[in-house]
Amino acid sequence: MQGVKKEHRVLVTGVGVVSPLGPDLSSNLRSLLEGRDAVGLVEAFDVTKTRCKTAAQIPDEWMEGALPRRRSSDRSHRGARMAAMALREACEAAKGPTPELIVVGTTSGGMSFGETFYRRLLAAKSRKGLARLVGNYTPQKPIHDALEANRLRIPAQIVANACSSGTDAIGHGFELVRQGLRTCVVCGGYDPLCELVFVGFDSLQAATPEKIRPFDKHRSGMVLGEGAAFLILESERYAAQRGATALAEIVGYGISTDTYHLTQPNPSGIGPKLAMQRALESGGLAASTIDYVNAHGTATVFNDATEGAAISELCGRVPVSSTKSMMGHALGAAGAIEAAFSVLAICQQFLPANINFTEPDPSWEFEIIGNVSRAARLNYALSNSIGFGGTNATLVLKRV
Amino acid sequence: MNFFIQGIGAVTSLGPTALETWRSLCRGEQAPRSRIAGGLADRQYFSCPVPGKFVVEAARQPRLRRSGTLSLLGAVAGFDAISDAGLKPGGGLRDKIAIVFAICSGGVNYTRRFYHEIVTQGANRASPLLFPETVHNAAASHLAALLDVDERCYTLVGDSSVGLSALHFALELLLTRPELDRCLVVGTEEADWLLADAFASWRMATNKDQFEVYGRTCGTIFGEGAAAVLVGRTGPLEISGSSPCRPFFSVRDSESVADELFGNFSGGGSPDIIVSSANGTFADVVECKVFSQRYPSLPVYAPKPAVGEPLGAGALLQVALAGLALRFQQLPGTLCAGGKLPSVNRETRFCAAAKALITCVGFNQQVNAVKLRLI
Repeated sequence: MQGVKKEHRVLVTGVGVVSPLGPDLSSNLRSLLEGRDAVGLVEAFDVTKTRCKTAAQIPDEWMEGALPRRRSSDRSHRGARMAAMALREACEAAKGPTPELIVVGTTSGGMSFGETFYRRLLAAKSRKGLARLVGNYTPQKPIHDALEANRLRIPAQIVANACSSGTDAIGHGFELVRQGLRTCVVCGGYDPLCELVFVGFDSLQAATPEKIRPFDKHRSGMVLGEGAAFLILESERYAAQRGATALAEIVGYGISTDTYHLTQPNPSGIGPKLAMQRALESGGLAASTIDYVNAHGTATVFNDATEGAAISELCGRVPVSSTKSMMGHALGAAGAIEAAFSVLAICQQFLPANINFTEPDPSWEFEIIGNVSRAARLNYALSNSIGFGGTNATLVLKRV
Repeated sequence: MNFFIQGIGAVTSLGPTALETWRSLCRGEQAPRSRIAGGLADRQYFSCPVPGKFVVEAARQPRLRRSGTLSLLGAVAGFDAISDAGLKPGGGLRDKIAIVFAICSGGVNYTRRFYHEIVTQGANRASPLLFPETVHNAAASHLAALLDVDERCYTLVGDSSVGLSALHFALELLLTRPELDRCLVVGTEEADWLLADAFASWRMATNKDQFEVYGRTCGTIFGEGAAAVLVGRTGPLEISGSSPCRPFFSVRDSESVADELFGNFSGGGSPDIIVSSANGTFADVVECKVFSQRYPSLPVYAPKPAVGEPLGAGALLQVALAGLALRFQQLPGTLCAGGKLPSVNRETRFCAAAKALITCVGFNQQVNAVKLRLI
């Protein structure tokens, strides 16, 4: 392994997103500007016995043709389709980059195939077709399919740090490029909706039967979403050599592990605070330079209390929104999608809205971008992710 | 910049530590097989389970009281690696260490039980106590809590080669973060009937209690366990080559990727021994072809017929055993070796080896290799 060289600027030269807000970056931008609510009744599985009955889902017809027409493509998981689409868009936007590595975050991968496998076992049905389910349910397989569909023969690292997976994947890619170990890395995350995880959050009473209202005084929990997003990260020198256009720059990444409890954050907010502090230190920035925080903001009582305390303490009256209010929580993909949204916010100079907002929680100082997006001058944006296991991660993005 | 293995840890069906596992393997012992309980159908499978007494101390930790086997095994192996390095948890260790876990199937037992409740009793009856342990990073989170690590803790997922990818990831952390002194890399796996049945339906697992390597490919038997290595900036055992996992898109493709990865390690010359991932599946065929062409006379040791295929723990267990082979200058004999690879090491023997190649052909389109060098 080669030694560390001098630090390089890390540019974002391509972004691809598939989310319930749209099948590509431009449609996601429109939805963000409009403050569209993509949450609806769950159709993929039975929700008659759960408290929460809604999620933000990607229509399957958006993903038709995402994989090349082959027999093996028919066997692939829909996670592979969303990953392939987002990856293709990112590579096309970056105009022919040659990434050396892909770093991807996910939590449950192709878990719905595992669910189908188990239901068929219980029903003692024929074993025909089971091998297809087993071979495609693993977290890495949809990424292999997406790579193959995009003719990329590069090594893959799949990070499963719960809901901060996507941010950690980008953070790791950022550090590799910044330290000169790689010149071009594609990073991101994907996570399709599945019953097991949906019921899991419902069983913990973390999911709400109402609207998702991050940072609202009357917040009552999260709803799930799904999607995929990829960012092409390149060193400034490599991007210049091949004439790529920079959309934004990543300047900081911080991570912390809150060992308080497996599922509950330390109420002091020390977990997200440390991640944000470390990201700012990594970028050599003061908290006062941050113009916008794309918060993790799941709208659970515990998450928002913890994250809210951390943002408030560190950044004071900064504008904050949780785009999960529009598209739910895409788990392992959330950090990647929200990093992509932060790039959009910086490029288009606007603050995405925190919809369904009714009344501020008096606990915090910061300003919630309530219900309507608005134009603003943004130089630096901070994107937070917080997950089970006490994992916290933060990225700092800069206008170029 | 060079990185070194400072400590080696493991817990397997053959022993509660890496050293005890190693001694058993050198004596030519095979892990006891037992039928996996809790099957849904009349199909029976065997595994090599870790005896409960090996994890009893870890299970006393309040943080691990409700955790799955996966987390218990990971903690035992992690502490074993720290102890092997002559270190103690806590104190100065916590501030300058990162944790990287390698996971394949994850907490499959809790996941199966949770989903079983959903399907059979209804979503409103599923236990909230089970769900958190189904999350892939639960084991890493528990170990971070036990070691009081508050910064870098990652979980990587993949197939049976994921441990080598995790090791490479750890080296990348040490390269990019000079303030880190060490990284603890842990791979862990628990056995479950569902896993065996799933792999059997994929023709990767057998319902017999033995499997042959480099012979007839009839499928594998799962082993339970965990393995860990503590990686740092000094030490007697250098990691002289590593890589993130390389995907392959067909069996033919796997041979060319394996050939490139196993043969093209920059620097250090040819290895002296190989510790392979042979497990009674197509992996054996790929390795056999590459070894026969690239290293026809090098002794090859395949530990999986003795301990089973421990998936997420498998690759790091190979690294641990390769490290011990170099430390003790001894290579265990491969049990149940078929006749397709003449260079397979069949009897335990002393060997003057300074360089070991660890190879992995994963079942789900991933190939990787790592090279170790004794200083």
